[in-house]
Amino acid sequence: MKLRRLWYAVFATVMSLSPLSALAHKESDAYLSLRTDTAHDHVMHGQWDIALRDLDYAIGLDENHDGAITWKEVKDKRSAIENYALARMQVKGDGLTCDMQPTGQKIDEHTDGAYVVILFDAVCDKNIPSKLTIDYRLMYDLDPYHRGIVTIHSGDKIAGAVLGPSNPVASINLREPDRWGEFKSFVTDGIWHIWTGIDHILFLLSLLLPAVLVMRRTDPRSGGWRVRGALSESSGLLMALAPASTRYRWEPVSTFWPACLDVIKIVSAFSLSHSITLSLAVLGYVHLPSRLVESGIALSVMVAALNNVYPLVNKRVWLIAFAFGFIHGLGFASALSGLQLPADAMAASLGGFSVGVEIGQEAIVLAFLPIAYLVRKTHFYQVAMLRWGSVLIVVIAAGWFVQRAFDILIPGFSAFIPN
Amino acid sequence: MNDKNEGNFDEVRCSSRRTVLRLFLPLLLILPAPLLAQTNRTKPYIPASDGVVLQLVPPATDPRVRQFEQLRNDFNAHPQDAAKAVLLAQAYVDYGRSTGDARYLGRAMAVVQPFMAAPAPPVPVMLVHATIQQSRHFFQASRDELSQILKRDPANVQALLTLATIAMVQGDHDLANRLCVDLTNNAGNFMGMICTASLRSLSGQGEQAYALLTYVEDPGPKAPPAIVAWIEGLMADTAARMGNAATADVHFKKALRLTPGDNFLLADYGEFLIDQGRTKEAIDLVGNDTQSDTSFLVLVTAEKALGSPKAKADMAEMDARFQSMDQRGDHVFMREEASYLLHVEHDPKSALNLARQNWQVQHAPKDVRVYLEAALATGDPAAAKPALDFIDRTHLKDVTIDPLVAQLRVLKPARSPSAVSTSASRSFSSGSGR
Repeated sequence: MKLRRLWYAVFATVMSLSPLSALAHKESDAYLSLRTDTAHDHVMHGQWDIALRDLDYAIGLDENHDGAITWKEVKDKRSAIENYALARMQVKGDGLTCDMQPTGQKIDEHTDGAYVVILFDAVCDKNIPSKLTIDYRLMYDLDPYHRGIVTIHSGDKIAGAVLGPSNPVASINLREPDRWGEFKSFVTDGIWHIWTGIDHILFLLSLLLPAVLVMRRTDPRSGGWRVRGALSESSGLLMALAPASTRYRWEPVSTFWPACLDVIKIVSAFSLSHSITLSLAVLGYVHLPSRLVESGIALSVMVAALNNVYPLVNKRVWLIAFAFGFIHGLGFASALSGLQLPADAMAASLGGFSVGVEIGQEAIVLAFLPIAYLVRKTHFYQVAMLRWGSVLIVVIAAGWFVQRAFDILIPGFSAFIPN
Repeated sequence: MNDKNEGNFDEVRCSSRRTVLRLFLPLLLILPAPLLAQTNRTKPYIPASDGVVLQLVPPATDPRVRQFEQLRNDFNAHPQDAAKAVLLAQAYVDYGRSTGDARYLGRAMAVVQPFMAAPAPPVPVMLVHATIQQSRHFFQASRDELSQILKRDPANVQALLTLATIAMVQGDHDLANRLCVDLTNNAGNFMGMICTASLRSLSGQGEQAYALLTYVEDPGPKAPPAIVAWIEGLMADTAARMGNAATADVHFKKALRLTPGDNFLLADYGEFLIDQGRTKEAIDLVGNDTQSDTSFLVLVTAEKALGSPKAKADMAEMDARFQSMDQRGDHVFMREEASYLLHVEHDPKSALNLARQNWQVQHAPKDVRVYLEAALATGDPAAAKPALDFIDRTHLKDVTIDPLVAQLRVLKPARSPSAVSTSASRSFSSGSGR
C-alpha cells in the first residue's frame, strides 16, 4: 500500500516535471480591437477573436463530440457565443456602459489555431467617449492565465493593453471631451423627441389652433338657442358633445400680429415652465412617478383640446400652456434620463436637449402659423380643423389617459395611435 | 471602478506596423502591460462550406476526456470538496504536461485557486498550485509554496521532489542536495537515487550519475510507463552530456517507446539529433507535431541547418508564434527563443540579451549553453561571466558546453558589456514579478 502511494506521488510529480523545456503551446489569448468611427462619434467598431478551443471548453462547440469543430457547429452556436462573450466585457465611455451589438461572425487563423471572430459595435449612447474604459472578464473563472490583448485604433493613434483576470481594467483618453459635439447631439435629440412625441405636438396644436381666430360670444338674451356659425354645421353626434357652444362663435382675426403675439405668448409660457421642471428633474430635485407624469400629459392634451370645444379660457390660453408645461417638462426629463449621461457632461446634455426641444417646437409653430393664418377664414379650418380636430384630439388623449393612468391596454388603440 | 486594478494603455502614433513596434519598445520596459501590434497574418473570413473543419479538439473517444468529464461532474456536484478539486486539477495538469498544451494549466489553476484563499489551504491543493506555478516557470512562487508545505509535512515526497527539481533548474545545488537526502530518508532509496543521480549529472559527475540510474532503470512491472520513461530520459541526457551519443540515442528511443508523442521528449530528442548533425531524423521525428511550438522550433532549426527551401516560410511562422507569445507579456520561452535567434535568425546580440534575461530565471545546462554561445557569437566573453562563474561553482561538465568555456577563457574581454546590453533589436520586457 505504501509503495502504491509512493508510485502515485512520483507519477504525479513526474507528470508535472520537466521544467527544462517550456510548454509547447501558448496559453489562452483573445484579441480585441476597437476602432473609432469618425462618421459616428458614439460608436466604436469592435472585433474580438476568441480561440475555438477556449469557447469549446467554456460553452461546448463540438456538438457531436467527434473532436472536430466545423463551421456549421460554430454558426449554429453564434448567439450562444455572442451572449457568452459580450456579457463578459464592458466598453465604457466616460464611465457609462456602451451597448454591445453583434454585427457579424467570421473565422480567423492565429498561430495556435482557429479563432471565431465576433464583429460588434459598442454603441456609447449619446455620449461621445473621451475616456474609454475596457472591463475584460472573459474566462476569468475558467483560466486565470487567459489574456485579452486589446488594441484601440483612434484616428491615426493606436494603443493597447494586455488584460486578464488579475488585471481586468484599462482606460485610455481617446480625445479631449467634446462638449460641443455632445451639445449638438443632444440638440438633435431634443428636436426628435418633440417631433416624435405626438402627445407634446397635440398639446401645442390644441393651444395654437384657436390663435388665428377670436371668439365672439353670441348674445344669450336675444339669440336663445340659435344655432349658427360653426355649430350649424355640426352633426347630431357633435351636438350632443357640444351643447353649450351655442353661446359663442369663432371669427378670424383681422390682422396677423395679434395672432402671432398670441402664439408667442403660448409658446414662451410653455417653454418657460417645461424648462423649469426639466432642469429640476434632471438635476434630481424633483421626481415624480412616470405613470403620474405620463397620464398628466395625456390629461393636459385632453384639457387643451376640450377648451376648444367648451371654451373656458380664451384670452389667456398661455395660462394653460404655462400650467401644463410643468408636467410636460417632467416628461422630457424622463426621456433624457433614459439616455445615460456622464456627470461632467450634464450641462452640455441638459442645455442641448432643452435647446433641441425649443427648436423642434418653434419649427412646428413656424410651419403652423402662416398656413393657419391663410386658411383661417375657411369653413374647413373653423369647423373641420378646430372643432372636429379638437374632438378627435380629446378622444385620443382620453385613450392615452386611460391606458397610462390605469395601465389598461385598449384593444386596437395602440395600433392606430402611437403611445 | 477599482483604481487599483486599472491599467493603462500605451499610446503611440502609428504609420506602419514597424513603426508601432519600434515606438512601443521604450514603453514596454516601463509599463506592466505591454503589447505589440496584432499578429494574425490572415484576414477574417467566412469558411467556404458548413463542413469545413476549423479546429481539432480532444474527441469524446479519448479516455482522458471522458475522465475529465467524470471528474468535472464529480467536482461540480461537490464544489466545496478540495479533494475532488485536486483530482480534477491534477488530471488537467497531467494532460497539459503530456500534450504540452498550456491551456490545461490555466484550467487546473481555475479549479484549485478558490481553495487557496483559505488561511491554511489543504496540502494537496497547495501541491497542485505549486506544481502549476513551477510548470509556468514561476519558480520563486513555487519554491515559497513548497517550502510552506514541507514545514507542515516534512516527509511530503511530491513536494520534496518538485522542490529538488526547481533547485536543480535554478542551479541551487546545495538545496537540491539536502532535498535528495530528505527524499532518501522519506521515500526510500529509489527516489533518493534518482534525485542524487540527477544532481550528479549536473555537477560534472556524469559517470556516477549514469551508474546510479542503471540501478533504478528497471523499477519493476508495477511502475507506470511514464516513470520508466522519465528515468530513461534522465539516462539519455546524462549519456549525451558525457558525449556517449550512441548510448543516449538508445535511451531516448526507449523513452519514446514508453511515452510516444511526449512533447518534452520529442523536443529533447530533436535537439539532440540536431546536435549530432542528424537533422533529417530530427525533421522526421517532429514533422507530424507542428502545432506544438517546441516541436516546430526543432523543425525550423533543422530545416535551417539543412538549408531546406521550407525554412523561410517556417521561420516566418515561428516569428509570428514568438510574437504572439510576447504579446502576453509573460515569457516562459526565453531560452528557446534565444537559441532560435542565435542559430536560425543569426542575431547574436538579441540572443545574448534574451539569454541574459533567461539566466535570471533558470540555470539548467541548456540555459548555460545558449548564454555562452551567444556571448561567444557576439565576441563578448565578459558578458558570459555569470555563467562561467556558475560552471566554476557547480563543476558542470557537458560536451556541448565544455568547448564553449574553453573558447571563452581564451578570449580576452574586448569590449565593455554595455555595448551589447543596450542593443536590443527585438522586444522584451524585463520579466516582471519574477
